[in-house]
Amino acid sequence: MMRQPHLSDDRLIDVCLDRAPAALERQHLETCDVCEGRRASLARLLADVSEVARDEADAVFTPERLSKQHARILQRVDREARPGRIISFPAGHRRGHTLLGARPGMRWIAGAAAAGLVIGLLAGRFAHVLPAGVARPASQAGGSVAPATLRAVSMTMSEEEFLGRLEVAIEGTSGSALRPLDDLTPLVWEVSAR
Amino acid sequence: MSRTTSRRATSPTAAGSPAQAAPLSKDSALAAEIKALVVAGTRDAARERFADLVALLQRRATRIAYQYLRDVHDADEAVQDAFVKVFTHIASYREELPFEVWFTRILVNGCLDLRKARSRRVRWVLPATGAGETAPREPVAPEAGPEDQLLASERGCQIAAAVQQLPERQRAVFTLCQIAGQSMNEVSQTLGLSEATVRVHLFRAIRKLRGLLER
Repeated sequence: MMRQPHLSDDRLIDVCLDRAPAALERQHLETCDVCEGRRASLARLLADVSEVARDEADAVFTPERLSKQHARILQRVDREARPGRIISFPAGHRRGHTLLGARPGMRWIAGAAAAGLVIGLLAGRFAHVLPAGVARPASQAGGSVAPATLRAVSMTMSEEEFLGRLEVAIEGTSGSALRPLDDLTPLVWEVSAR
Repeated sequence: MSRTTSRRATSPTAAGSPAQAAPLSKDSALAAEIKALVVAGTRDAARERFADLVALLQRRATRIAYQYLRDVHDADEAVQDAFVKVFTHIASYREELPFEVWFTRILVNGCLDLRKARSRRVRWVLPATGAGETAPREPVAPEAGPEDQLLASERGCQIAAAVQQLPERQRAVFTLCQIAGQSMNEVSQTLGLSEATVRVHLFRAIRKLRGLLER
């Protein structure tokens, strides 16, 4: 009877990874000490690697650490994974809990405030429509220059006229009060001559 | 070595979830139940069931995260983030898929994000090394604790160093297959690779480990 050739490395790995060997391979492993030794060596190596890696992680993550981690995960789930509370508005507002609903007297205050606002707006609008003489009789009675007139003069007055009027005002009786102040103030050529 | 097939337990389908012909694993049944409770608006009950789910998967999750990150605090953070994300998005869980695959994908993605953030931190915050030197090694778990006594054994150190020498993809596949106990089909779904690619990476990883450890 012709002897089966030795199993390849890949086939041995397959066998070690729990892939059931075919009948011929099983028969060969039972009869060939070399291949059985290779298989056993490889299986031991894989088991060692897996065991060391698992033990390494298990030694670091002790039961106490795992317990803390478990609690921390649930805490985070409570805090982070909770969906945001949706406030329904305005349908969700219960009428009895509103300010106006709770105190009927407040309705009158709110109504009066709204009416006052409307009246104020209307009055302001009609004040602009009415002539200035009718709108501001008090200013005419006082004899002072009306703002509308002043605005018209200032708009039409040239720079020369403005400076002329300023000089007249300074030289007038009302300007005498400013004379001591003017004397104290140095002139331009005096400053530049120093 | 326990394989995935042994972890699949028959359990009744959760109320409110669609009927399935194939039996659900315990974690998938719990997840379906939590989803139904969340959708129904009974959040407190869902939280209670979620506590059971966390207890069921927590150990395995920490093993995977620690193998990826090699840092206790980062692994702890990754596991917490993954579970919180699961609960937040449980309504989008599809019951026709194993919950373990969905959860592991979330966890692995979180671990990869943390690793990226950590490498950026190492690159920009820590003092730069000389121009001719290699990139700084990733920080590992602080040593000299009682939990590190296992690493004192020479064999344990050799194995841990050998696993760390595996290329990224091979290490990911090896971790999920051999340490997390997932089947190749589950690993392919978790990592978004074909089963043939997973098999190639796994075989290469085993060959490399054998070369490193049997010298």
